[in-house]
Amino acid sequence: MNRSLIYFDEEDFQNSIDLLEVVNQIYKDSEYETYAICFNHNDGVIDGKFDYLITIQNEEIKNYDVQNITNCIEELHHTYDFDSIFIPATYLGRMLAPRVAMRLKVGLVADVTAIEHNNGVVEMVRPAFSGKILAGIVNRNCKTIMMSVRPNVFVYTTNSLKKTEKIHFKPTTVKPSKIRLLETKDKEKVQDIRECEVLVSGGGGVIDDFKHIKLLADELSGVVAASRRVVDSGIASRNIQVGQSGKTVSPKLYIALGIYGSLQHIEGLKNVENIISVNTNKDAPICSLADIVVEGDAIEFVDKLVAKIKSKK
Amino acid sequence: MKIICLIKFIPDVDNFTYDYEKNVLVRENVKLILNPEDACALAFALRIKVKNPETFVEIVSMAPQSTIPLIEDLLRRGVDKATLISDKHYVGSDTYVTSKIIAKYLREEEYDFILTGSHSLDGDTAHIPSQIAEVLQISQLSNIVKVYEESLGNDSVIVQVDCEKALSKYEMELPCVLSIGKESKYKLPFVKYKDLELNVRDRISVITNEELEFLQDEVGIEGSLTKVNRTFAKKLHKKEIKVVRNDEVGIEVVYKFLKDKGFV
Repeated sequence: MNRSLIYFDEEDFQNSIDLLEVVNQIYKDSEYETYAICFNHNDGVIDGKFDYLITIQNEEIKNYDVQNITNCIEELHHTYDFDSIFIPATYLGRMLAPRVAMRLKVGLVADVTAIEHNNGVVEMVRPAFSGKILAGIVNRNCKTIMMSVRPNVFVYTTNSLKKTEKIHFKPTTVKPSKIRLLETKDKEKVQDIRECEVLVSGGGGVIDDFKHIKLLADELSGVVAASRRVVDSGIASRNIQVGQSGKTVSPKLYIALGIYGSLQHIEGLKNVENIISVNTNKDAPICSLADIVVEGDAIEFVDKLVAKIKSKK
Repeated sequence: MKIICLIKFIPDVDNFTYDYEKNVLVRENVKLILNPEDACALAFALRIKVKNPETFVEIVSMAPQSTIPLIEDLLRRGVDKATLISDKHYVGSDTYVTSKIIAKYLREEEYDFILTGSHSLDGDTAHIPSQIAEVLQISQLSNIVKVYEESLGNDSVIVQVDCEKALSKYEMELPCVLSIGKESKYKLPFVKYKDLELNVRDRISVITNEELEFLQDEVGIEGSLTKVNRTFAKKLHKKEIKVVRNDEVGIEVVYKFLKDKGFV
């Protein structure tokens, strides 16, 4: 029976649960048991999803105290001898995973994006060199496999409910903490164009009525971005500039309105899933990257598309 | 005060190419650069040194000896000492082994704290800082955007970190590993004109396995716990471009596209 441990990050329920899909893909039809480890919280969301829920209640262990969390996981591992350990690549997870791997002398693969089975060996796939290539990584010299997984990469869905057995674990290795939280404040929600899923971006072709493009951005729950030409003319601020001297963006949808698409602009578009380019010149370089090219005036396009979306609501 | 800064030279990822036919990275003529966040970390160390000239700044890098000219450039910017850990047996080490090697050197050194970048642009695993801190049994935080210099005492330091959803202030016991993020905006000083040709060779010490004494099967590919089984390019699917006019038909095509993809 394979045993899998998932570190349950209280700040990110969904991504912790989604790691069950990774376990699923690794063991497929062979038998396995899943364990969730929770520190100082006991969330109902786990019920029915895992075979075992291990909770550690100890106020001395703060949720940022990676050293003590590592001590506890080491103790757990000595008891349960896990075959695989999964940690969500949250801020904390990215510091915790390497510590645990080092302590347990287990190979660790960061930011796994896919699982492959190659001649009976589990291959953990991750992007390397800024996503230019993918590397299939295998474990060697150790039984346990361990990985961290970025959010939104795997999605777990199931209809079957498990009988989640609860285990209260009392660690014996908690030590005085070497780190103390003094204060924390939530970040102001300034929308960063690097983190937006939908960007409506304007260039020279909309320079005379740049503010107008916000109508479309609002309709698509997106954010306005700009080309260097617009920013240099002082109409838009530098922090929304896309391109080499601006920001590199990876939205799911990029609507380029009146943007020519010089090389420095295109450099700022990485892993953009869908591009729509609206331009009076259908041979502008940006159009070669687009899924759809709309030949015509971009401001006119904004009005027409906004009207269309509104009429369908 | 003594600060050790761990640095890594990386291929300039934006400027190298992938040979899709041979399925290999074209590494020839690839320029190496100092990993940007490591540059922020080193910049912070040198900033402390400017304020307190008695501060001793050492950089430590595990790299081939061909990086010496790059290291010399950093020494000319005010670094006191550079340690280059370099041995042919270390080639192919994964992050587990690399951390073991660097930590073994550090264990014999004295320092108030260790600075690193939070992640490197090439591998981007962010394993090394945490793993080294684990071997040394000291605390570590990533994505530090500010070190409160005035708080630097004998026992602790206060830092501000960007932990994605929030900005938090922590007090950490010294010694510790401080991993600086790029948002810190610490910038490396330039080389002074008079120092452009300064001979700094005597400030570089090269450490090999003769000093660190690992068994051959503990390091390199053999000692590693992970192995790159294969590398492959992302499947490039040539997009089909649809060209429409800015009329009712065209808007319908765009609308349907957005609808199918779930944007409206």
